[in-house]
Amino acid sequence: MELGYELVKEQLFFRKELRERVYWFIQLRWIAVGVALLGSWAAFFFEPKLPIFPITIIILFILLYNIVFFFIWLRLKSFKPYEVRSFTIFAHTQITLDLIALYLVIYFSGGIYSPVLIFVIFHIILAGILLSPVSCFVYAILVLLASGGLIALQRSTILPLQPILFRTPLFPYSLEYPDILVLGLILTAAILISAFLITSVKLSLRTKGRELLKVSRELDASNAKLTALYEMVKEMGVCSDLQELMDSATRNAARIMGVKGCSIKLLDDQRKILKFASAYGLSEDYIAKGSIDVEKSPINRKIIQGSFYSIGKIDEKDYFQYPEDIRKEGIASMVCLPLRVEKMVLGVFCVYSEESDYFMDSDVEFFSLMADLTALAIENLKSELNKTWFLKKAAHQLRSPFNAIYSMLKTIRKGYLGPVNRKQEETMKRCEKRMQILGYLINDLLELEIKRTDIIKTIIHPVDSTKIMKALVSLYRTQAVEKGIDITFDIEDSLPEIMADEKLVDDLFTNLISNAIKYTPQGGRVRVALARISQDRVRFEVSDTGIGIPDEDIPRLFTEFFRAENAKALVEEGTGLGLVIVKEILDRLKGTISVKSKPGEGTCFACLLPSV
Amino acid sequence: MSTGKDILIIDDDRDLVNSIRIVLESKDYNVRVAYNGKEGFGKIEEKTPDLIVLDVMMATDTEGFDLAFKLKNNPKYQGTPIVMITAFPKKMAEEGPDKFQHILGESWPVSHFLEKPIDPEELLSTVEDILREANRV
Repeated sequence: MELGYELVKEQLFFRKELRERVYWFIQLRWIAVGVALLGSWAAFFFEPKLPIFPITIIILFILLYNIVFFFIWLRLKSFKPYEVRSFTIFAHTQITLDLIALYLVIYFSGGIYSPVLIFVIFHIILAGILLSPVSCFVYAILVLLASGGLIALQRSTILPLQPILFRTPLFPYSLEYPDILVLGLILTAAILISAFLITSVKLSLRTKGRELLKVSRELDASNAKLTALYEMVKEMGVCSDLQELMDSATRNAARIMGVKGCSIKLLDDQRKILKFASAYGLSEDYIAKGSIDVEKSPINRKIIQGSFYSIGKIDEKDYFQYPEDIRKEGIASMVCLPLRVEKMVLGVFCVYSEESDYFMDSDVEFFSLMADLTALAIENLKSELNKTWFLKKAAHQLRSPFNAIYSMLKTIRKGYLGPVNRKQEETMKRCEKRMQILGYLINDLLELEIKRTDIIKTIIHPVDSTKIMKALVSLYRTQAVEKGIDITFDIEDSLPEIMADEKLVDDLFTNLISNAIKYTPQGGRVRVALARISQDRVRFEVSDTGIGIPDEDIPRLFTEFFRAENAKALVEEGTGLGLVIVKEILDRLKGTISVKSKPGEGTCFACLLPSV
Repeated sequence: MSTGKDILIIDDDRDLVNSIRIVLESKDYNVRVAYNGKEGFGKIEEKTPDLIVLDVMMATDTEGFDLAFKLKNNPKYQGTPIVMITAFPKKMAEEGPDKFQHILGESWPVSHFLEKPIDPEELLSTVEDILREANRV
């Protein structure tokens, strides 16, 4: 089935050429007709004995049938390339009609010695290009027979002998032996050699074309595999859970390799036992048996040491701890590779096929690439999880003494442990203020790291931004009213959905709106707008009449821990991480942000978000 | 007014427990302390307190919730009000019911959240409010 399809594809490749060449032939004929008309009339000028009228009529006849051919071609054009028969018949018709017309011209322009005779060779060449080698030789023989026939006709009295034209010393223009024999031999040789040359050139081109096609097919196949591998890596890249990642790897590997099953076995901490960490297409029973003591399994020991194993037939080799189970599972051949990052081996990656000798060298090579990428993804996620775990742990550890100190400080300051004088209270208030900032810093640091991981892992999908914004209106209205700020929300109805994630959009809105309220003094105004600005963009804009941002600080706004001096002077707490998160969210959503600000007058942040 | 009311503080941070105890004792509450969930449950069984001040994260991230849940499922302690202290009261309120569904079931097993670090006045007013409410019922 597969082979049949490939054959059709290959034939199509050559048949497309026939299609194009047939049209090219028609176009050539327009030129040939023009040149023939000019040529014959020029010859008539030098040789008035030339029967110009019958020749002109024949040329006009050629013109006529070429017009017909042109219309036939217009009709054939809509045919599918595999309806090759119509095109072949069309090519045969053209060559046959051309040869008939040509022989008529030859007859009128001096018979077998006519200079026009040379043009039959071109038709042999054309037949060689358009049609099969056999057809080309058939036309060559027909042409030779026609030439022989013409001589016979001229020698007999059936056809009136046309005037002898263009006589030169080289051409004796005799129909007698041996002159006619010499001409005959030259003509035969010329035609057969042309046919031979053109068909051999064409055959070699065809072989080259076939090789090219084979290479391009192989390229297609490896391209498809690489694309699939890329998709697999992408899928693994967004996993935030180790099990999910390995399940995705085994499922995809089995699919891409086109096999029954795939498994990942990981080494335990002592590096002594290999345990199934993920399996696809294998039965529960098989997986249940699968813990392998590396000491007792020479094959797995070798894989862990870095070699790979490709086993064509399970029956042949006595490699396995449980060969019966493997056979029962329906596994006939397998490839097992180490999962390693640089020199560290994490485990073993295997693919299983139900066919013997299923895996070719190229498959093993490809699977090895897959194993390396999977190992890298596993290691990467592990270290990321470790980092997040560490940060969470560290933040919690920092927070405990922080909370205890802060609570004790308050207990002292508020006099629960005895009277406190004013100076002591003032100093303790300052301590509390600084503690508060330290608290924000610890929180934000942890938040930033968790958010960064979340942002990267987020799956982008269509989101209703209006709904998210409307949910925030009352919260920020209350905050603004409490602070004595006039806030307005211009939210356009029926906005297109944006490509984002609810949590990220909420973070984006929250960060910018709360900043605007924070840095706008009492009596100021904040305006929040959400509108569609083009076919594929939604603009989220927050403008305020707040303290503004000095020009020189604008380029540093989106860097970690940066806070402008005037912002610090107004609001002591704050860590300079909010806008970093804003920028990272926009990067993830493929959105942009721009800032316009004048110190003392206000600031406007405008974000463009891609819509569905 | 508040004399004689029995309050149990359960938290693994002794310094924090101590400062809460100082604040509560200043209003003549009868304060007992426990430094983990198990010890806390023991003290509750010993004598049911009028109110429990409970930390969320102790040895595990949810030890406090586990205990609160256990109490809410026990008819004997169902009515005992719990004040939960956490570093993220806002976050828990926001993500709350969804994120903690698997631990909490339908509703919060606690009466109030208090943010760490503890503000003495807030602590006292919360405790007073809850006890007054409980008295009325």
